[in-house]
Amino acid sequence: MNTYAYLLSGITLLPVLGVIILILWKKATKTQAAILGIISESCALIIPIILLSELRAGRSVVFSLPWIPNMGISFSLELNWLSLIFLITEVLVTLAAMIYSLGDKDGEKRSHYYYALLLLFSLGMSGTTLADDVFLFYIFWELMLIASCLLIISWGHGENRLRVALKYFIITHIGSLMVLVCLILLYVNFGTASLSALTVQAASLPAQTQVFMIIFFLIGFCIKMAIFPVHLWLPDAHTVAPMPVTIILAAAMLSMGTYGVLRFPVALFSLEAMQPFALWMMIAGLISEVYGALMALAEKDIKRIIAYSSVSQMGYILFGLGSLTHDGMVGSIMHVIYHAIVKALLFMVVGILLAAAHERNIDKIGGLAKKMPVITVCAAIGVLGISGMPPLGIFNSEWMIFAGGFDSGFPIVLTVITLLGSILTVIYSLRFFGKIFFGDTKPEKVDTNISKALLISTVAVTVFLIIEGLTPGPLLTWSELGLVSILGGLP
Amino acid sequence: MEGNIAVILPIAILMGGAFTIYVLTRALRLSNKIEALLAILVLAGALAALLNLVQPLIDLTNINDLFYGIRQPGGILFYPNIVGVYIGGIACFICLFICAYSGEYLSRDPRYLLFYPLILLTIAGLVSMFFAADIFHLFLMAELTTITGSALIAFRFTKEEAVKAGFKYLVMSSLGTMTMMLGIYYIYRGTGSLYLTEIASMTNDFTRIGAACFLVGFSIKAGVVPLHTWVPDVYHHAPSAVSGLFAGITSKSMLFIMPMIILQLGMTAQELGLYLMVFASFNMLVGVIRMLTQQQLRRFLSYSSIAQTGYLMFTLGIGFYYQLPSAYAAGLYLLSIIAFMKCLAFLTAGNYEYRFGTGDINQLMGANRLVPLNAFAFSTALAGLSGIPLLAGFTGKWLIFAAALTAGDAFAIAGLVVFLVCTVIGSIGYLPMLVKQYQRSRANLKSLEKNQLTVTSTLWIGVPVVVLTLIVIVTGVFPTPWINLIENVVRLVAAV
Repeated sequence: MNTYAYLLSGITLLPVLGVIILILWKKATKTQAAILGIISESCALIIPIILLSELRAGRSVVFSLPWIPNMGISFSLELNWLSLIFLITEVLVTLAAMIYSLGDKDGEKRSHYYYALLLLFSLGMSGTTLADDVFLFYIFWELMLIASCLLIISWGHGENRLRVALKYFIITHIGSLMVLVCLILLYVNFGTASLSALTVQAASLPAQTQVFMIIFFLIGFCIKMAIFPVHLWLPDAHTVAPMPVTIILAAAMLSMGTYGVLRFPVALFSLEAMQPFALWMMIAGLISEVYGALMALAEKDIKRIIAYSSVSQMGYILFGLGSLTHDGMVGSIMHVIYHAIVKALLFMVVGILLAAAHERNIDKIGGLAKKMPVITVCAAIGVLGISGMPPLGIFNSEWMIFAGGFDSGFPIVLTVITLLGSILTVIYSLRFFGKIFFGDTKPEKVDTNISKALLISTVAVTVFLIIEGLTPGPLLTWSELGLVSILGGLP
Repeated sequence: MEGNIAVILPIAILMGGAFTIYVLTRALRLSNKIEALLAILVLAGALAALLNLVQPLIDLTNINDLFYGIRQPGGILFYPNIVGVYIGGIACFICLFICAYSGEYLSRDPRYLLFYPLILLTIAGLVSMFFAADIFHLFLMAELTTITGSALIAFRFTKEEAVKAGFKYLVMSSLGTMTMMLGIYYIYRGTGSLYLTEIASMTNDFTRIGAACFLVGFSIKAGVVPLHTWVPDVYHHAPSAVSGLFAGITSKSMLFIMPMIILQLGMTAQELGLYLMVFASFNMLVGVIRMLTQQQLRRFLSYSSIAQTGYLMFTLGIGFYYQLPSAYAAGLYLLSIIAFMKCLAFLTAGNYEYRFGTGDINQLMGANRLVPLNAFAFSTALAGLSGIPLLAGFTGKWLIFAAALTAGDAFAIAGLVVFLVCTVIGSIGYLPMLVKQYQRSRANLKSLEKNQLTVTSTLWIGVPVVVLTLIVIVTGVFPTPWINLIENVVRLVAAV
């Protein structure tokens, strides 16, 4: 192993170090704990940037240590283009959420534990994207769930947070177990837990086993993506969780489901093996898109509106993946990133609105444009972004997803409905924006004194969204390289 | 008497130690702590004696060369085997913690004098059952564990529930041993012999009836549904240390003695595997479903224990039904980690009761503020039992999955589905139980503070709890040495 390999291990080890320090540093103030968390998370961002040169040279970076040799399990991490995209997205979202949390009231009590759990949550996601061993993958996959669940239970809002956390845990755990069955099936069949080795061998499994595994993988990961009808955990969990956690849940954790679909059924089996499921994936994506948008329209709770919009947006992603075409799949990868940025921004705005107006009902908030001009601009860019307005990013990804849909060979009516369904997104976005910022109903009291941390992080994400939208070139290249890294060539 | 004295040494140390400790404590009026220390010394000696048998068992070319006893009709014979040594070793090891813990935990019980000798006799009975070469000797040792077990369960005889639980165990367990007795009658009638090696070579319908009787007998002692009715009462009302011992190792090890006897009586491995797999489903479902409604920590753990017995039966069932040594190894691994996790769970639950006088989780809300270490240890045990990654239970879960998927047919997959469902239902039970200790409730906290029976915990309770917690964590993160050990045990079993 070379220096780069050891550096790669730092992405998982440095946050662990941060967690240990935070657990021991009981007297840390919220600011101190947050800064430590931000430093640890920054390391997880800097390292992949350093390692980028290796990827550009056409080499993936691998770190491997034997762990349970008699079971063929090792602590193996691999950074390739696909994991890089998801890793950087997740780390950036966590960083933004941590900076945002400095101005947020959540987590003021037992801050050291709060930030330790945030780091563990992020570590779960980083590890999931980097793991090159199925045993390790599952450990990080569950770590992500456990940390987020504890955050909801301990710092969530409302008396029913335990019930909500339990619901979240149970539903997503069912998905995890389905994934686990497949992982162990792979392990049992080939006697190795190495994902790289399995990627080479998995296609040799009997067709029936492949079908079984693809179904289980898809359901398991769709639960994480919150695709209708297995989305039931999402609205409540997003509503009850403290805002920084909601941001990470919506903007980063959902994307882990997409990563799972790409890394397992798509990468392990041939596209021919996936073909029988393509139409079902597209239909599920379409239903999820429309259902999420309709629910967002029907909701009055501003946090739940944005939560349901995630169900809708994940629908686009699944639709693109289901097309099994170059454009559709690359579009889906790009959509993950754009969605992460937009969703982080919208939840940040919602957090600020909740802090300012102390009101969640959209019918009771209005006319905030004059009182909060900067936030109004940020929200406007956010809703335009999620509506797919050019030149903001989601326009690019949706374009590719729809192109993939038309190119998939399935009846074009499917893609047409999906395209038309995006009008619903525009409607709920504009309703959200119009009512809150230009509506007539004015809340009794509006606290316009917004914390700098909230403002800076929100504005920064807004600027980032604009830049990403205006310069889609690098992201497109990375997404294509990501797809090549798992498929070995473009479909 | 002939043979190698080393064979009988662990049992002799335990039995002799029990007698000596009783006499010494009575004569010299030793304190509870001193008696606990003496029991620890005896257990350490027995553990060393058991370990001393490992090398001879490895070196042995003919298993019949290593024995102790009287090789004549009617004589008692001991044949050590590696599974017995392994499980006996685990039992002694667990009891080290139980005795240390009881050094403080029993400080309010005036009858501590009897406690440690009874524990030692229970372990002696258990090891003897593994080493028994004849079925009558096996029956006697099963009776010994029944009697000592009943006495331990009804240890706090001033409490009506404890006496009832002890009586219930006595009745149920005696029913088990009586069924074994009936089995012995049939076997003796069919073969004219009581020695397992002789019986194995002349099995017939009578021995098969005997095997069925032994199957029922062991099932009662292991708590197999529907013969499990003693389990919740016993684990709830016995002293927590005793519950830890029974739930952790004593009852579950019956599932390992069972095949050693029954397979020599004419029952096939497939039949035994089928029985274990079918009834495992009942155990898993009854355990996890009944677990959900419990508010009392120890009653909750009792039902969880019934489910864990089911997991163990399922794994062993796969091993026998499909002739998979890896599943048998998984079973041994599962037994070991359940022993540690269950013992830790009962010891920490007992500590709550010792400290606050209640085991009701709703009354213990916020208890982590007063006993953070205990809360952490209890959480670790529960998280481990629910199979959370990086704790011992997860590797066990992985091995169960692997065993079922290796078997691969519809029957194993159906069992795996039940296991999966039970895992999910189980987490619905574990999570609230785990979280409630950390939930803030000012009223509760004040009440707990006010009603504390003792304010500080001593090292007698602290050390066993901390060490067991570390074992659960370390075994989860680095299971390799343990898995290596078990693979060696299974290799030796296969060689014999």
